[in-house]
Amino acid sequence: MSTSVIKLGPHQLALEEPMYFRVEVDGEIVVGLDVLAGYVHRGMEHLVMKRNFYQNITLLERLCSLCSNSHPSTFCTAVEEVAGIRIPARAEYLRAIADEIKRISSHLFNCAIIAHIIGQTALFKTVMEIREIMQDTKESIYGNRMDLAANCIGGVRYDLTPESAAYLGKQMERMKGPLDELYRTYATDQAIRTRTEGLGILSKPDAVNYAVVGPVARASGIVYDVRKKNPYGAYDRLRFEVATEQGGDVRARAMVRLREAREAVSLIEQCLADMPPGAIYADTLPEIPAGETIAKSEAPRGELIYYLKTDGTDMPVRLKWRVPSYMNWDALQVMLKGHSVADIPLIVNSIDPCISCTDR
Amino acid sequence: MEALPENDPIPPVRLYRINAGSCNGCDVELATTASVARFDVERWGCRYSESPADADIVLITGPLTVRVRDKVLRLYGEVSEPKVTVAVGVCPISGGVFRDSYAVVGPIDRYLPVDINVPGCPPHPRALGAGIAKAATLWRERCGYTQPSPELASPGNYDGDAVAPTGLRGKMRFNAAACVGCRMCEHVCAGGAIRFDETDTGLHFTLWHNSCAFCGLCSHYCPTKALSVTDEWQMSHLQEDKYRLVEQGVVSFVPCTDCGSILLPVAPELLRVAYRETSREIERLKTLCPECRQKQSIGGIRR
Repeated sequence: MSTSVIKLGPHQLALEEPMYFRVEVDGEIVVGLDVLAGYVHRGMEHLVMKRNFYQNITLLERLCSLCSNSHPSTFCTAVEEVAGIRIPARAEYLRAIADEIKRISSHLFNCAIIAHIIGQTALFKTVMEIREIMQDTKESIYGNRMDLAANCIGGVRYDLTPESAAYLGKQMERMKGPLDELYRTYATDQAIRTRTEGLGILSKPDAVNYAVVGPVARASGIVYDVRKKNPYGAYDRLRFEVATEQGGDVRARAMVRLREAREAVSLIEQCLADMPPGAIYADTLPEIPAGETIAKSEAPRGELIYYLKTDGTDMPVRLKWRVPSYMNWDALQVMLKGHSVADIPLIVNSIDPCISCTDR
Repeated sequence: MEALPENDPIPPVRLYRINAGSCNGCDVELATTASVARFDVERWGCRYSESPADADIVLITGPLTVRVRDKVLRLYGEVSEPKVTVAVGVCPISGGVFRDSYAVVGPIDRYLPVDINVPGCPPHPRALGAGIAKAATLWRERCGYTQPSPELASPGNYDGDAVAPTGLRGKMRFNAAACVGCRMCEHVCAGGAIRFDETDTGLHFTLWHNSCAFCGLCSHYCPTKALSVTDEWQMSHLQEDKYRLVEQGVVSFVPCTDCGSILLPVAPELLRVAYRETSREIERLKTLCPECRQKQSIGGIRR
């Protein structure tokens, strides 16, 4: 067999971030893959140990902008665990709201990119316009379209007034129609189905072997969602279905994300309805004793794990992550094998890879 | 370059994006300037290009990591002259929250000439649009186009219909009269944007907007709210003004009314936080240094 090796960069892969692939091909068919990572390595493990807990809230929000609320909220959860702080119930709901808002935006961005790659320019723009409802919501409630600055140690930094809660409710109402419509389009449009069905299949046994997480796992029939499996914050009081699909292909992953986005709208509505009044943070400047802990959450891309070790000073001794994209990259080996080079961008983006999370 | 005829149609200005290791926030926002109608850069006579060789304006995001440096510089070199370079977000401008890492070699102007900076974390798409519009004007000037494009004819158009979006977390503002000098803001600032310098006359506060992550944590933890978030988002500026983009204030020392030693004045905001209401006794004691206050209020403690 005579194979050759080609190198693909972010422009060929339709990625927003620098990541390079060394792809082994036999003619037009992919037979091997090597991921060349590290271009977005900013030395986060080093940086977090040079910053105090407060600085790390802001720094970690910038670990990745698409799951930017998951990082500080999981970090704060870890710190609170070490310090034995129980955050007020209202803060738990407000954290869930922030997480779900980000989930909708993140999933819609991926959904738009998928449309862009398969040449559906009008649909790409439509999805980006729908996403603007979420962007406006974030900006009006939190003050920024990407980084919410919602968390602090012991709770949250923002509260919803009756007016802003009503605004959020109205915005969520506005999302329902477009999200349902998008789901129908991705499910039934013939052109989209032709390009996405049966492409980049990850079977359930392979998904288990590669220990993939998030929508990638759920699209291969694995019912795993941290919000259900190990409920944190307000999630044990919220009702939702874990979105799963059996196909394991590009289409299944898109369908899972769109269902989750719709489910997130309902989660936000439940939070608005059930949220008790009261304080939004426990203590302004709590003392953080020596200790170690693990905190996890369901970020838009899947299970996010934080390991934190403290020594009684106000800087972490160690902070380590396992980010969802890290687990999903490797499974691309299986998804890409046997497909044509032209399908690489679509399959790669179907795992919604986050490079700034992976490289850190 | 030869002067071009006045009435020649102006070709679109072509933009090229380079990611120098960003968290993708600026990149996702730049994507909206190509896909969302209200932010579309086509209004400024611009369009995005897929190849550096077909570009006039380079937009760089990210703090410039060690590993990406050579790739960034190579791509930058492929953009033909004359070109205009825009640093997007505080990361390429100063390193932002990632400064002082072994893995970061920026700021980007150590390696290539920057023309325009657009601070923000990430900047609002309207701020990106304004920065790009400035860059397009600069590029046209460099090429010798004498006639501005209709969109850019009036400088007011930079901001378009942009009023500040409600509740936007923009530039920070410092109110020296309310500052108690606790330096909590400096302590919580992830980007090291805040600095205090003590001189004989007082405490000098400096906040560099080009290193600020606009997270508002300083204001959140400020006990007297001497720092507040404004909705001012329009901050794009020429490279020569990079270090002038600061918020400054001085908390002047005052003499103790008894012994004359200098002390930081007690801000009324602090008294409100501490006592809710002030009394004549508190008003009298607040002009004293801690030692004289101790003596006068409890007759002094022998140490």
